[in-house]
Amino acid sequence: MFAQTYGSTTLGLDGVLITVEVDIAKGIPGLDIVGLPDTAVRESRERVRAAIKNSGFEFPARRITVNLAPADIKKDSPGLDLPIAIGILAASGHVDPLQCRSQVFAGELSLQGRLRGITGIVAMAANCRSYGLSNMIVAPDNAQEALLADLTVYAPASLSDIVAHLSGVKLLEPVAAQLAVSSSLDTALDFADVQGQLVAKRAIEIAAAGFHNVLMVGPPGSGKTMLAKRIPSILPAMTSQEALEVTKIYSVAGLLKNNTGLVSDRPFRSPHHTVSTAGMIGGGTIPRPGEATLSHNGVLFLDELPEFPRAVLEVLRQPLEDGEVTISRVHASLSFPAKLMLIAALNPCPCGFSSDPSRECSCTASDIRRYQKRISGPLLDRIDITIHVPRLEYSDLVKTAPQESSSDIRQRVEAARLIQQQRLKQFGLYANAQMQHKQIKKLCRLAPDAVSLLKQAFTKLNLSARGFDRVIKVAQTVADLSGSTQIEAGHIAEAIQYRNEFQVISRK
Amino acid sequence: MNHICVGDKGEQSAALYLRKLGYKIIAANYRASTGEIDIIARDKEYLVFVEVKTRRSLACGSPAEAVNVKKQQKIIKTALCYLNQHKLTDHDCRFDILEIYLLPGAIKYNHIINAFGS
Repeated sequence: MFAQTYGSTTLGLDGVLITVEVDIAKGIPGLDIVGLPDTAVRESRERVRAAIKNSGFEFPARRITVNLAPADIKKDSPGLDLPIAIGILAASGHVDPLQCRSQVFAGELSLQGRLRGITGIVAMAANCRSYGLSNMIVAPDNAQEALLADLTVYAPASLSDIVAHLSGVKLLEPVAAQLAVSSSLDTALDFADVQGQLVAKRAIEIAAAGFHNVLMVGPPGSGKTMLAKRIPSILPAMTSQEALEVTKIYSVAGLLKNNTGLVSDRPFRSPHHTVSTAGMIGGGTIPRPGEATLSHNGVLFLDELPEFPRAVLEVLRQPLEDGEVTISRVHASLSFPAKLMLIAALNPCPCGFSSDPSRECSCTASDIRRYQKRISGPLLDRIDITIHVPRLEYSDLVKTAPQESSSDIRQRVEAARLIQQQRLKQFGLYANAQMQHKQIKKLCRLAPDAVSLLKQAFTKLNLSARGFDRVIKVAQTVADLSGSTQIEAGHIAEAIQYRNEFQVISRK
Repeated sequence: MNHICVGDKGEQSAALYLRKLGYKIIAANYRASTGEIDIIARDKEYLVFVEVKTRRSLACGSPAEAVNVKKQQKIIKTALCYLNQHKLTDHDCRFDILEIYLLPGAIKYNHIINAFGS
């Protein structure tokens, strides 16, 4: 007897529809799974056997062959437990084989026959949709994820519930979408908690508005980390398209918790400096997303930048340039999106106090040079804004005056972003930081006095061609924040302040 | 009573037990170069290969535990010999383990149906 049903697995961030064929024949009893299953799928033999038995069905004492097609893709999802079990039940006559041909099953089975959630459901569901399959049966833990792809989703608790549903004994209700939980942006970390540091806050506002990368330099304890953690709270809310991208990534990475549907908050990732290159941009025999991809549409915060291994920082160059990471391995070559805002923090020297006017620095000049040399020029070249975060004065620290809250700042950022989107729409971009030289030339309009100031700065400060573009990009964001239609001299002047002149930092 | 006697007694009572269940005993102690099968019986459409394990106490663990993967493979190979010999390769078959406890004054059975496969 033969039965066929559908399961799904993931390859990178995409779902792959798997046809599960089950044949039950006479001969020595046994269960064989063919079609390039990896260990998790091969082990499903034992889970499926126990789950069928413990759900009150007889496990056929026959020769069972399960084929997973297409045969050339490695199947690594334990979610294939469920379609295999349903296929066996259909081939042995417990379920009508025709009933299970029009739906996709995805779930891990417990030995007891209950359904467990798996990773990557968002990608799988989106893929089912594109094949015209409209019904999906998943574990209750995954129901909200599957609903994002606009499918009819059933979320039974156990294998026996599915059999009752498919044989029409007790039909399941399709799962209803939960109303999206209100965005937690307002309740989380807030810029109102940060006393002082007005210059740094202003620079961060500009960075958030134009999606510019930021380097923060300052002595220990000056509030660099505190500022960085609050950046997601002033970034504009994600569009539904962006939110779907992020949800897909988090679903594949197994980081979606509590059966949440769409991820509404922008990601904030802060990997420890012992992270490996594979951990940073993704890797593995079948590549999995790394920190750069997990911070897609959000913030990647690298604290103590010089402590990161050089190789790890160098691999960030491609994602910073192209907004995506391509990983090639023997089994697959995959691209992951990585449009991120890089926020890096570092001390100006090993002891941390060389830029502090009131405290003696104990580092020698060569110490400082060696410390700063750990960060490569090409990486610094991709950072538009450098902020000096000085140690707080006592008077700033004890101030109780209310500080501007994140939601106020966010309103300004969103307004500035709207202007950028309208201007950059024709190029498929949405923020000033993404502009290339060609677009800068075409779109950025400078006032006459801004042009003369820029000329002066170019010669006086020995700006490179790229540095020149960067000043204009930042100035454009400053202009957008102030609602000005062209870049004025004042905007250029402010942008020059934030230019990346790393060696200056160590000078008192 | 030595261990061979125990085994023989167990296999005799196993045959009786299976007959009572309606099985038709086809062969006992079938031997091939790969090993031996204690009882071959027919249960409706199934050809059943039964491994009988007899114990007088549980000191050495449960009888079925003694039928490990290696022993299972041996039994399966021997069963294939039988099936080939009798041209029955396209026939439903099954491997059972029959545990027998020889207690003083009583015999207890534990029949594990479809205990293993390839």
